[in-house]
Parts: sequence; C-alpha cells; structure tokens
Amino acid sequence: MTEQPMRVVIAEDHYLVREGTRRLLEDTGDVAVVSAVGDAAELLAAVEELRPEAVIADIRMPPSHHTEGIAAAHAIRAGHPGIGVVMLSQHADENYAFDLFQRGTDGLAYLLKERIGELDELLRALREVAAGRSVVDPRIVEVLMGSHTRAADAPLAALTRRELDVLRHMAEGKTNRAIARALVLSESTIEKHVNATFTKLGLAEEPQLHRRVSAVLAYLRHAPRGAG
Amino acid sequence: MRGNGPAIRIAAFFGGSCLLWAVTTGAFLLENNTVTLPWILGAVLPCYCAGLFAWWHAPANPVARRLLLIGTALSVSIGIRYTSALLTVRFGWDLSAPENGLPSPTACLVVLPAEWDNLAVSILVVHLLALLPDGRSRFRYERPVLRSLWALLALPFVLPLAGVPTRVVEFAVFYYPEAWLPGVGATLLVVRCLRARAAGERDVAVLLPLALAAAGLFLGRAVSRLFRTWHGESGILYLIGSALGALPYVLISLSVVYAALRYRLLGVDIVIRRSVVYGTLWLIISGWYLGMAMTLGLTAGQYFPIGLSVLVAVTATALFQPLRAKLNQLAERRVFGDRLSSFELLVQFGSVLEHAYDLSRLAPQLAAGLQQGLGLQWARVRLGGCGDLPAHVGRAGEEPAADAAGTAGSGFPVCYGKDVLGLIEYGPKSEGRFTPEDHDVVGTLARQAALAVHNVRLAAELSTRIEEAQRQAGELDASRARIVHAQDGERRRIERRLHDGIQQDLVALVAKLRLARNRLGRGGDVHAVLTEVQDDAYRVIDELREVAHGIHPPVLTDQGLVAAVTSRARRMPIPVTVHIEESLDRVRFALDIEESAFYLISEALTNVLKHADATRVTIRIARREGWLVVEVVDDGVGFPTDTTRGSGLTGMRDRIEAVGGDLRITSRSGAGTTIRSRLAERVREEIRD
Repeated sequence: MTEQPMRVVIAEDHYLVREGTRRLLEDTGDVAVVSAVGDAAELLAAVEELRPEAVIADIRMPPSHHTEGIAAAHAIRAGHPGIGVVMLSQHADENYAFDLFQRGTDGLAYLLKERIGELDELLRALREVAAGRSVVDPRIVEVLMGSHTRAADAPLAALTRRELDVLRHMAEGKTNRAIARALVLSESTIEKHVNATFTKLGLAEEPQLHRRVSAVLAYLRHAPRGAG
Repeated sequence: MRGNGPAIRIAAFFGGSCLLWAVTTGAFLLENNTVTLPWILGAVLPCYCAGLFAWWHAPANPVARRLLLIGTALSVSIGIRYTSALLTVRFGWDLSAPENGLPSPTACLVVLPAEWDNLAVSILVVHLLALLPDGRSRFRYERPVLRSLWALLALPFVLPLAGVPTRVVEFAVFYYPEAWLPGVGATLLVVRCLRARAAGERDVAVLLPLALAAAGLFLGRAVSRLFRTWHGESGILYLIGSALGALPYVLISLSVVYAALRYRLLGVDIVIRRSVVYGTLWLIISGWYLGMAMTLGLTAGQYFPIGLSVLVAVTATALFQPLRAKLNQLAERRVFGDRLSSFELLVQFGSVLEHAYDLSRLAPQLAAGLQQGLGLQWARVRLGGCGDLPAHVGRAGEEPAADAAGTAGSGFPVCYGKDVLGLIEYGPKSEGRFTPEDHDVVGTLARQAALAVHNVRLAAELSTRIEEAQRQAGELDASRARIVHAQDGERRRIERRLHDGIQQDLVALVAKLRLARNRLGRGGDVHAVLTEVQDDAYRVIDELREVAHGIHPPVLTDQGLVAAVTSRARRMPIPVTVHIEESLDRVRFALDIEESAFYLISEALTNVLKHADATRVTIRIARREGWLVVEVVDDGVGFPTDTTRGSGLTGMRDRIEAVGGDLRITSRSGAGTTIRSRLAERVREEIRD
C-alpha cells in the first residue's frame, strides 16, 4: 500500500488523551495528524485552514463541557460535506448518538472513547466517515437491541428475530460476508434478510451505500418513542 | 257607681263638655277670672284624662270608673263655676247667698249642684283611696262607712235650713270636705292595709307605705286649709295652698295610670300600649306644671307691675322646666324601662363587638341588645353560615310561630362587600312604628356585625393557615432532615464505590502492568497480559461511567427529561412501554423539576425491579393544565400502601414535595402499583418549530 496517510485533525481538551491518540494514530503510519487542538473553536479554525480528510473530536469540550463536539461536527458537515467526523464520547448513552445523527448519518461516526484502545476500529471508522459512510459504536447498538422498551408503532416491530440479528451486525459496520460468517448462514440468505429489512423500514429507494447504517438509525430514531 | 256602660259614657261626655265649656269661657269670655285656670290645668284636666284613660282600657274596673267620675265631677264643678261667673258678670244675675238660709230659688239652681258636685268629688276620692287597689270592699266595715259618706250630700240643703250662717256652710260643704276627705280616704286605706296584713292578704298589705305617705301628705295639706280664713284667695300662702290643693288629684291620677301599666291594676289580661301610658302621664305632668307656673305668674301679677310679673312667670317656668323634664324622664324610664338611645345602642354594640371572636355568644348578645334597645317584639340574629363558617343564631323576645299570619318581621342582611355573612330579622316594635332612624340603627349594626363576622372569619382562616404552616414547617424540617440524611448516605455509597471498587481495580491494573514489565525483563511474551490489562481498563471505565451516571445522568442535563427517561427505560431488563406526549420533546423544564421527575421515575423503576416482580412497566409523561404529570405503572405484586413505610417511598415523596409537587401511590397486594406525581410545569426553554 503506497497510499498517502489520511490527514486528520484531533480535537480533545484532555492533554494526555489528545497526545496519546495522536501518537497511536501516527504510529500506524496510515494517519497524519495535521493538527491537535483543545476546543471546538480551534477545531473549526483548523478545519477551515487545513481541510483534513477526517476529524476526531471529543464530545465534551470547553467552555461548558456539554455537547460542543456534536455542534462542531454538525458545523463541519454543513460547511464541508467531504470531511468525515468521528465523535469520541465518554457517554454510552444512545441519546447522544441520536443527537449526532439527527441531521443525517453521512460522514459521521459515534464511538466510545475507549475505542482508542481498539486502534483497528478507530482507523476503520476514520476511513468510513472519510468515505461519507457512517459508524455506530457496538455498545450503543447493543443497548438498543437488548432493550425491551418498545412502542407499538416502532418500525422495528415488523422485523423478525433473524432480521434484527442481521441489522445489529450491519450496524456494527460489518459487510454481508462478515455477517454471514458470524451467523453461520450463506451470504445470499443474509442479502435476502437485508433487503427485507430495508423494505420493511422503507429504505428500498435509498442508495446502496447509505442504506445499511440508515436502517439502524431509522430504528434508533423511532424505537424509543411511543406516541400515546 | 255601678252604672252601666252608657251611663258612664254620658257622664264622661258631659264632663268633657263642661271642661271644654269652662276653658272656653275662662279664656275668652271672662275677665279677671283666670285664677282658676291653673286649677283646671293642674288638677281637673289631669284627673279627667287619667280617668278617661283608665276607664277606656278597663271599663268594668271600679277604680277606673271612680277616677273618671272624679274627673267628670271636677269638670262639671268648674263648668258650673264658670257658668255662674258668666251669669253674674255678664248678665248681672245675683247668685250670692244671704247671710243665713238658702239663696234665691234661681241661685239655688246654680249653687246647690255646685256644692253637691264638690262633695261628690271628695266622697269619690275617699272611695277610690279607701278601696285600693282593686276598688272592691273586702272588710265588713268598709261598705257602711263609705256609704255613710254620701250622707254629706245633705249638708248643702240641711245646714242653711238649720240656720247655720252661709259662711260656715261654705266651709262645711266646700272647703273642709275638699281638704280633709282625701286624707280620710288615705287613712281608711291605712286601716285597710293593716287589716289586710293581719288577714294575710298581701296584695293589699303591700300598699301600706304608700297609704301612710299619702295619709301624711293629704292630712298635712288639709291642715294648711285651717289657715285659709286668714289669708283669703291671694298671697303667697294661697299660692302654696293651691299648689298643694291640686296635689291629691295629680298624685292619684299619676298613680292610677302608672299602676295600671306597671302592676296591671286594671286587669291582668289588659295590654296597654306603653306609649299611651306615657302620653297620659306626660299630659298629667305637663298640665300640673303649666298650672303651677301660671299660678305663680298670676300671683306675682297681683303684687308686681305687669313687666315684672311676666318676668317672674318666665323665671318660674324656667325653674319648673328641669323638674318637669325630670318627671317626664322618670315617667318614660318607668314606663318603657331602660330604653337606650340609638347612640347608646351603637356604643354598647361597639364594645360588645370589640371582643367578639365567639359568634355563638355574639349572636344572642346582638339579638338581645337589638330587641331591648329598639323595643322590638322579637329579634333574631344569624351570623355565619357562609362558606366554612358555621351559622350561629341568637334569639330575643317572643318570636311568633312561623306560620302566624301578619307577624312576619323584616330582615336585614349582614353583608361584607358582596359576601352575605348573616341575617338580622326582627318583628315590629312593641310601641310605635319603626322609624327611619331605627332602620339606620339596624343598618349600622348589621355593618358592624358584618365586620365582626369578617374578623372571625379572617381569624379562623388565619389560624387554619398558621396550623397548616406549622404542620408544613414540621413536615419540611423532617423532610429536610431526611433529604440530608439520604444525601449523606449517597455520598458514603459513592465514596465506597470509588475507593473499594475503582481504586482497587486501578491498583490491580498497576500490579498487572508491573507483571508485564517483569515478563518483558525476562524476555517473555507480554501480549496476553497487556490484553488483560486493556480489558481490565475497559471495565474500570465502565464502572466509572456507571458511578458518574448514578451521581447525575449527563443526558438529563444535556438533553433533558425525555432522553434521560427513555435511556433509563431501555436499560430495564423487563419490557417497558413509554408514553411521552410529543410536545415534551421540545420542552426543557427547570432543572430541579427535570431532576425530580427523573429521580422519581428512576427510583420507581428500581423499586419495580427490586420488589414488584412485574412482567412489564408503563411510563407516562404528559402536560396537564400547568402540571407535568409523571406516572409509572407496573403489573407486579403490589403492596398495601397504608402499612408500607419504606424509606424509598418517603425519599420519593420528600424529593417531590421539596419542589412543590405531590405524589400519589396506588397499590394493592397482587394488583400492581401506580405511582403518580404532579410537578409544577416550570418551563425553562421551549423550542418551537
């Protein structure tokens, strides 16, 4: 592989985490950290100036330490649709993911912060968002899939158990082949389930690339609500 | 004496006519004969009026009849006197008697009736006095003695025929009987009283002091007549004499009228209007007063020039005025009792109301004061009976039966602003009609009463509120203590989790890293150890996340109640259905409200897991009329709410009440549990799209 390393900007207010992440990423040789900044304003300035391929941003940053990262991600995606954003969050709460994905899933990833340790995962997410796709941390998907909370009109109520299984793997970013391996099924069977799921969720007309994560996120957005 | 109705009526009419005749002739026809006018006013008129009054109200009563006959006879006497004066002066008749023997037959027509009339007056006075109080003879001696007095009527005829000098006859038939017989009557009454006392007849015996006083007075006055020959019909002594002369008639009239009212002298069942009694007394007193004043003036006129005598008359009138006023006032007081003036009435009520916080006592006081103060037949005061205030009714006087026709009283509402706080009802006045002033008095009273009731109401409300405040303060103290206690417990728990959990995990991690380094030093494979270390580190992060979440779920601050609740619900191991009103997605409530609502739901879900053994839970969050309503329903085992005193439930309640909400827990054994809470819907931010 003689690919150019991916140009990435890191935004993280905690110095040790910021530098640790930078070293980990640069250590791989696949990533060039062109800038490492401490807050959202600096991040936006760096993005404007450096035009990286992807950004890794902490969800909580100065000044108020709430969800500045999400606001910055939305700003970046709005201003530069070509730049992907990987959101690193200490919150295992799915609501933050919903918040991030509320305007669309393209080019956005929601990962728990400890995924820094799973370097492969992090690199994969960077590549996915840079390509305009989307990743959701398996922990979040796990919570949603494991949840017994249902509303009568939730779209996923129509899915079979097998289709839900497939959807979960899909949400973890796996290809059909990987899902087939994990579930010990043929790839064509998986493909059938995937298409059935898309149809049931009303995603049949979406472009192929987006449908996979959209399927999950459609569920994510609808699942928790019950309307009366 | 026992004449039937028409006879008495004719006599009374005749007497009245004579009186009118005498006054007319005395005032307009005769000159220089005004000496007897004071006599008319001071003695004749009062007596006639009193007699008329008494007879009018008790026609069958002997005392009343005698009094009327006395008045009539006095009037006839004065009528004859003026007629003879008219005949003498204007028409030149000679009516004078010779030194001895009867006058001329024509003169006899005038003189003899006058003398008989005067004698009859005196004899009737004796009868009246001697047979008080009922006018009927009780002892055997009385009738013969009194009847024998009528023999005196023979004197005017017998004495002249017997050759007694005319001057002596005059004394025998005119001056002395008139002077002495009232004294004789009073003396006979004294004897009657003494006999009655011996016989144990109390009703007569009680008159003894009165009889003694009257006897003393009348006899004293009679004695003064002995000196009449010396001073003639003029001078200061004549004045005193004439004043005293009228005294028996005035006193008898006053006594009879007063006793008629006070002691029901004229009959037990006769109800006499007090104002009539008072009016009669007033007439008697005023007549006597006028007579006295005129006597004084006329007497003065004999000695002083006309200007001075007028001055004397005016002075005398002025001097007598306080006496008259005092007598009138006395009469009024005696007749009407202690009737209060409107002003006094209000002052009295004012002082009653001042301390009136007890309506049960105030109502009867008002009713009694009103009834007595205004002289009403009855009064009823109802206070309260509005809102929470119980009604208190006070009654005074004899209220007629509810269905009695024509006795309906008037009503006056006790109003404060628009609130009707009670009702004052009253019957007609015992005497006279209800004047606008009386109406004003009741109105003022009603306003004062309204103020009092209002005060009582305020006081009651205040005390209720103070009690409520004290109860709340006590409850608040307890709940505050519980909250502090719970907080301290929570802090200790967090401290334990950090020290005994996370810190220990980190220590273990350090130990494992040291192990890896040792292996590395020996050239061993550290890959497995490092993987273990990394997994351990993930666990520590999870643990830390959980602790932090337990202290305060960040999603609640960052995204609000709905996100926090759904997030909490998703982590429940049993099915949870969440119903959240759509508009709530766009609303952020005040932090304490969101936190309290979340804490409530979270605690309720924890309880469901711990105790309920439920198969499903439903959470509802909605906005209702300014309240945020939160409900958690499970289908678990439930619990008896009246006996369960869990610190968890108390903690929930404390927390909700601390932000001004309320909490209702409905549960029965085996029928699940519903926890429902209302919180003030204090909106911090509302996103409109």
